[in-house]
Amino acid sequence: MSNDPNKVWPTGLTLAEAEEVHSYLIDGTRVFGVIALIAHLLVAVTTPWLG
Amino acid sequence: MFDYRRFALGKIAQVGPRFLPFADVASDTVPLSRLLRLSLFQVTVGMALVLLVGTLNRVMIVELRVPATLVAIMLALPLVFAPFRALIGYKSDTFRSALGLRRAPFIFKGTMLQFGGFAIMPFALLVLSGYDQAADAPRWIGLSAAALAFLLVGAGVHIVQTVGLALATDLVPEEDQPKVVGLMYVMLLVGMIISAFVFGALLENYTPGRLIQVIQGCAVVTILLNGIAIWKQEARDRTRAAAPRTDMPFLQAWGRLSARPGMIRLLAVIALGTAGFGMADVLLEPFGGQVLAMSVAETTRLTVVLASGSLLGFALASVWLQRGAAPVSMALLGAVLGAPAFLLMIVAAGMTATPLLVIATLLAGFGAGLFGHGTLTATMRAAPRDQIGLALGAWGAVQTTAAGLAIALGGVIRDLLLTDTTAASAYAPVFALEAGLLLLALLVAWPLRQAGPIGAAVGLVKPAGTPILSETQVRRAALHKA
Repeated sequence: MSNDPNKVWPTGLTLAEAEEVHSYLIDGTRVFGVIALIAHLLVAVTTPWLG
Repeated sequence: MFDYRRFALGKIAQVGPRFLPFADVASDTVPLSRLLRLSLFQVTVGMALVLLVGTLNRVMIVELRVPATLVAIMLALPLVFAPFRALIGYKSDTFRSALGLRRAPFIFKGTMLQFGGFAIMPFALLVLSGYDQAADAPRWIGLSAAALAFLLVGAGVHIVQTVGLALATDLVPEEDQPKVVGLMYVMLLVGMIISAFVFGALLENYTPGRLIQVIQGCAVVTILLNGIAIWKQEARDRTRAAAPRTDMPFLQAWGRLSARPGMIRLLAVIALGTAGFGMADVLLEPFGGQVLAMSVAETTRLTVVLASGSLLGFALASVWLQRGAAPVSMALLGAVLGAPAFLLMIVAAGMTATPLLVIATLLAGFGAGLFGHGTLTATMRAAPRDQIGLALGAWGAVQTTAAGLAIALGGVIRDLLLTDTTAASAYAPVFALEAGLLLLALLVAWPLRQAGPIGAAVGLVKPAGTPILSETQVRRAALHKA
């Protein structure tokens, strides 16, 4: 733990750095979400489920 | 009382940075094991290329019965993105990051695109081929989904390769660049060879389920290998993060790069030479089969001979460049060997001499290896330290576009001539054209031999203020002259 107010717990990154790491996580989640949606749509076209 | 909270926080704070995918400090020396790990991204690139151009090309036409023209258009789609490689490289050079990262975020995004493309590709292909209930679905769904899948994979490959090469150039000192270039080429070939065998074995008994497993497995392998490849490779750089943003527009940055003496000439050489060597890639096997009546197994071995020649070329080029040879002379030597190799192929067809064709193939592969290695090393050397991404992007754009156009052109010329002449005379003009292109590359590259930033041997183009030649380099140069 450091006493530098800019550093955020627990990695010792600054706030801006931590936000950047987080933005990659968000980006990844969004992209994978969209990909999963498209994949499900395509599978539904080939072998429809739920009726 | 024991302050368990402080104790826990302290422990986590120590552990935390270990789980972040970037290095804390840049190290001066990069061990070979780390470079080998980095070069894994080339394996995924090779895998994607084989899957698209080799495996799916066949599966779509034979098993899925998609019209061949449509398949050709779909597979050519990623080429549309090739010129954007320069832009990708520029973006990564000027990327604004609080962590001071330039390359890792792009490789991450490129990997995501590659993964996403592979994830939807099998279903897109099944819908495109009208499998099961998809026959009733509107046509545009299959078409657009397949196009999207190929575009995603193509864009991912372009980004990962461009930025990955830039990262490799960033990491190593100039005298080690030949080693890295050789490693990258070899790993690309290794990835292509291994995945070709694996895909072939897995898809021997084709079922739609197997197709889904193979392509999605490819997606998972891509993300795993790329993850391992870039883990803790790029150091975070607080000075770069804090530096005021100097926004040089793309055209201005490009102008600065292309104003460097010899840069445009080098790119022209790369275009001509790559086109010359690349045309044979897809025509060699049908040539062996149609003209010299070789069996499928024999023509496959012909491709193996070509690849072995290239491997030999990469290895020898690495050794020679490491000893201080100039990259451009290496490229020149490659073109000098390549041009007669293609003429020899025409002779072999005239005499129906298979051993002669094998020798010519080995020679062409060897020349291609020397040429590829020499030109990529020259590009790395010619790039200013802050424009490495842009320079390698330009290299990739020119190289990929030239190879793609050459393959298409070679096929078209062959098909046009095949309709009204014998097989031998249909291939001869293509091989003659290849030899011609290589001679042209030779002519264009000749002036680069004079010492300039590109033709120069190791270390002559360091910015002012740094020692021009290290002691070992001076010794090497002296040895080389002696």
